[in-house]
Amino acid sequence: MPDLPALNPVVHGRLRLALLSLLSGVEEAEFTWLRAKTEATDGNLGAQLLKLEEAGYVAVEKKFVLRKPQTLYRITETGRQALIEYVQALKQLLGPAMDA
Amino acid sequence: MQDHTTQQELKDRLSLIESMIAEGRRNTESWGWAFVLWGVVYYLAIAWSAWGHSVWAWPVTMLTAAMVTVVVASLKVGNLPGTTLGRAIGSIWMALGISMFLLFLGLGLSGRLSDQHLFVAVISAILGMANGASALILRWKVQFVCAVVWWVAVVTACFGSDAQSMIVFLVAIFLCQIVFGIYGVIAETQERKRRGPLHA
Repeated sequence: MPDLPALNPVVHGRLRLALLSLLSGVEEAEFTWLRAKTEATDGNLGAQLLKLEEAGYVAVEKKFVLRKPQTLYRITETGRQALIEYVQALKQLLGPAMDA
Repeated sequence: MQDHTTQQELKDRLSLIESMIAEGRRNTESWGWAFVLWGVVYYLAIAWSAWGHSVWAWPVTMLTAAMVTVVVASLKVGNLPGTTLGRAIGSIWMALGISMFLLFLGLGLSGRLSDQHLFVAVISAILGMANGASALILRWKVQFVCAVVWWVAVVTACFGSDAQSMIVFLVAIFLCQIVFGIYGVIAETQERKRRGPLHA
């Protein structure tokens, strides 16, 4: 029997996985948009985004638009690759159960 | 870690990925309010121009609706992320808005908005084009049905009687603006309720 792949713990967290998936479909997104889509609290969202940033999976850009602070997040190539590998591992683990 | 992870949890993760990617790409459903607003405004403009016989009916209603749309949209769009898809859809509707605004402002003020058949055919053709293009990009069957309804209105305006032309136009506004807009708002709300808040 072949070895089953390990799931990346950084990606596996429910909120972190949602954030990476959201960011994979857009060029960049504001903190407020991510908060609206995930309905997470500011503290939790900030903490999970920081973990993703520390892992090198997301990049952050802070700027001012019309004198208002704006925090933009985008998925990095490393983050995109981690998400792809996570999905592949997930499919491998589920195997035939995926169709059930 | 997966020893402690049930198959159901893994499936849940997979569906979470799919729903979040789709959520990031979703654009039109967030605009249900705009479809409803413009549907109501069309009815107001038609009623005002029919019973009030005023050349200001279309320019005033279109200008007011455009201003409301710009203000509300700027508040909502400020938070929307940039996507190629979003820009494509946004471009279609922005170009439609500018075309309609100039057309009705010009026709209304010049007093040349007199041929009902031509008027219904032009407005329906523009809306059919925008809905059709948007539906094809998003692969959204419901919106494509709206495009077909507008195209039926174009044909009816060209070959039908005054009454037939106006009835089909009013029905098209009701179905493709008001009903479709409410459907968009409900679909977005239900999706949010179904998914619920996400925790780490």
